[in-house]
Amino acid sequence: MEDRRALNRNMFWRVIRRMVFANRGRLFVILLALGAGATVTSALLNLRVDAKRRLNSEFRLFGANVLITASEDSAGERRTLDEQFLTRLESESEVAKFAAIPYLYSVAKVAADGTARDAVVAGTHLDLLENREPGWRLRPVHASEYSASECVAGARLARQLRASPGSKLRLKSRAREEECTVAAILETGASEDDQAFVQLATAQRLSASEGQVSIVKVFVAGDSAAINRTIGALRLKFPQVRVQPVRRLTEGQAKLYGKISGVLTATVVVVLALTALCVMAAMTNIAAERKNDVGLMKAIGGSVRRVLRIFLAEAALLGLVAGLIGAAAGILLSIGLGKAVFGVAAEPRLVVYPVSVALTVIVAILAAYPLRRLANIRPASVFRGEE
Amino acid sequence: MFLRLITDNFARRPRRKVLTAAALGLGMAVATAALSVSLDVGDRLAKEFRSLGANLVVTPDADSLPLEIGGVDYRPVNAGAYLPEADLPKIKTVFWRNNIIAFAPVLEVQAQTWSPASRNVSAPAVSDKAAVIGIWANHSVPLKDGSFFETGAAKTSPWWKMEGNWFADDATQCVVGTHFAEKSGMKAGDTVNVSVNGRDWIALTATGVLTSSGPEDDAIIVPLQVAQKLANKPGQYRKLYVSALTKPEDDFARRDPKTMNADELERWSCSPYVSSIAYSIKQVLPGSDVRVIHRVADGEGMILTRVQTLLWLVTAAALLASALAVGASAAASVIERRTEIGLMKALGAGSATVGFLLAAEQLLLVLVGGGIGYALGLLLARFLGMKIFGVPPAPSLLVLGVVLVLAAGVTLLGSALPLRRAANYDPAPILRGE
Repeated sequence: MEDRRALNRNMFWRVIRRMVFANRGRLFVILLALGAGATVTSALLNLRVDAKRRLNSEFRLFGANVLITASEDSAGERRTLDEQFLTRLESESEVAKFAAIPYLYSVAKVAADGTARDAVVAGTHLDLLENREPGWRLRPVHASEYSASECVAGARLARQLRASPGSKLRLKSRAREEECTVAAILETGASEDDQAFVQLATAQRLSASEGQVSIVKVFVAGDSAAINRTIGALRLKFPQVRVQPVRRLTEGQAKLYGKISGVLTATVVVVLALTALCVMAAMTNIAAERKNDVGLMKAIGGSVRRVLRIFLAEAALLGLVAGLIGAAAGILLSIGLGKAVFGVAAEPRLVVYPVSVALTVIVAILAAYPLRRLANIRPASVFRGEE
Repeated sequence: MFLRLITDNFARRPRRKVLTAAALGLGMAVATAALSVSLDVGDRLAKEFRSLGANLVVTPDADSLPLEIGGVDYRPVNAGAYLPEADLPKIKTVFWRNNIIAFAPVLEVQAQTWSPASRNVSAPAVSDKAAVIGIWANHSVPLKDGSFFETGAAKTSPWWKMEGNWFADDATQCVVGTHFAEKSGMKAGDTVNVSVNGRDWIALTATGVLTSSGPEDDAIIVPLQVAQKLANKPGQYRKLYVSALTKPEDDFARRDPKTMNADELERWSCSPYVSSIAYSIKQVLPGSDVRVIHRVADGEGMILTRVQTLLWLVTAAALLASALAVGASAAASVIERRTEIGLMKALGAGSATVGFLLAAEQLLLVLVGGGIGYALGLLLARFLGMKIFGVPPAPSLLVLGVVLVLAAGVTLLGSALPLRRAANYDPAPILRGE
């Protein structure tokens, strides 16, 4: 009994081996089709997983998506936040995945070479600007750290004051006066073009509000669910401040991301369907060529189930081999593609590998559907040479 | 004889031919769908990006510097310059008028407010410094050709959430920001009185409560003409937001138009770059300064470029895969007919004649299969477009051409390899059935 089973198994694999290597050209075509499918599938899946993270970081260009301000007092007067708040905010471990930058706004008379204008003076940590506001154009790029006496002028303010990098600005607010050197010109197209940016300490001295900030702008990485979670956590932790999402960004981002990932998913499905078609065409071909083999198998007593099992095993084996090679190639490809598209190599996700191998095997087995026709072959007519 | 051979062949084995044509058609359908979607996706996404708001802002050129903090201009009404509202329809006369999907003028006034509703909460009856923002909610701008252009803040700021209704632009109504409503105890239907000088009060009926998470939350939003009356600046506005569909900027787009020669200038102004649209708006609005909101425009350009590159790569992969599928099925159909080829050659046909005959047959299949595939692919693209963007992509004849040429190319290529082998067949063994 044992012997017969072992013999059977031996024969089974022997038949498969012979069948697989019978026609090298065709083997190559099928492996190529399945392998190409697996490559494209795994590359796309990997990119699709990675694109979310990439796109979320691209959305940083649009600026902060959460604003923190002081809540109003009973008179309805807007108050300022304590500067210490920022240190407390950054020490919160749950909300560590964000980038915050404080601003203190006041109105002052800004003068350069005799021309004077009323303008908004914004105090902030100038060194953080480049990192926290990646959408802003600062010219010239400031290599070293900003010193305490340097400032950044908005493009329209600079034009009106005829100031350029290196000019001196005098800021005057009531009795207080400060002076700074323009280190860079800022162009954003929005209200920042009309403002002067100085170091936070300078602005605090100027507006007599030492240790205060007006607003903390926060960029939270992640989708809108993550942003809302962070906002909820912040509101719980700091009930005395007003935490608000920038709805323009949170809403828009969720919508856009939905569209983009929809397009990607649709194309992944389409490419998979194509691969199945391609393999199916090749398999139809096999079915036609295998008539004689099947006739012979049946004539010497092979049952239909057994014959079909052999063909299915063949298809699955081909799918597995092509999937293993193709998926690996696909992940390599996605690294290259990620570099081409996002400028940063896509991180290989291990979960993508088994998924694409499994998909390839399933496609290979499904594509073997034309072989079903073999079940109806009558040995006698095959041997007579009929079609 | 040639034609008879072909028709006979089709008539004799219709099932085979249908199968090959089906494989061809499906491959082409997928190629069509992928091409149509990716040709269309740039425009669609550009439209979606307008949910991030305006990408251009127009202000008076000879203006004093706006004292804008937290989105509210704190300048008194007599400081700074204004722009005439009457010029606005001209925006829809620029070369890129169809790319301008919405614009909305804004006039902000600092005013005193007083609402009877505030008796219910412990708030002061008269609040001193409330921002009153005059806008168009839903405005019909009459155009030169007699039609109307529907625009307004509801279109430039689609993220605004409204409880209740927008006001009518010609009524003495208003919409209150959510924080303002909370502070003053106002709801839709309540009345609020506003005045700039403390003497001439205007009573406004609130029609809704607005959540924008911007400066509008603390303000009263009124029709533009009400704000003009308050500020005593009839027919004028201070800031205009324009939302335009643009092409992502490349290095060429960032050049200064003044340094270009005639050819370059023409190419530049004939591309819907955000900067060239800004330039053309500046031409029609005298005394204006049109600025690109870089944060929106650059971010949009960056993401659009990336998604488009990604999609082109994916489409190329899909085309490659469909080429493989079509080529393989063409090859299969030639291999099947070895006996026939052998017979033809035994009867004295040259390799060229056989090849020509088979090629003609395949091309006929390509025409039929490719045509059906194109129609199917359009349906698929329609479905995908509706599913993802809610709008089907426009069918393009270019896609049909590309698909047919591609199908013909790969079919001939796929048939050529087995045909070359067939050319070397010795008829005798094939006819013997070996």
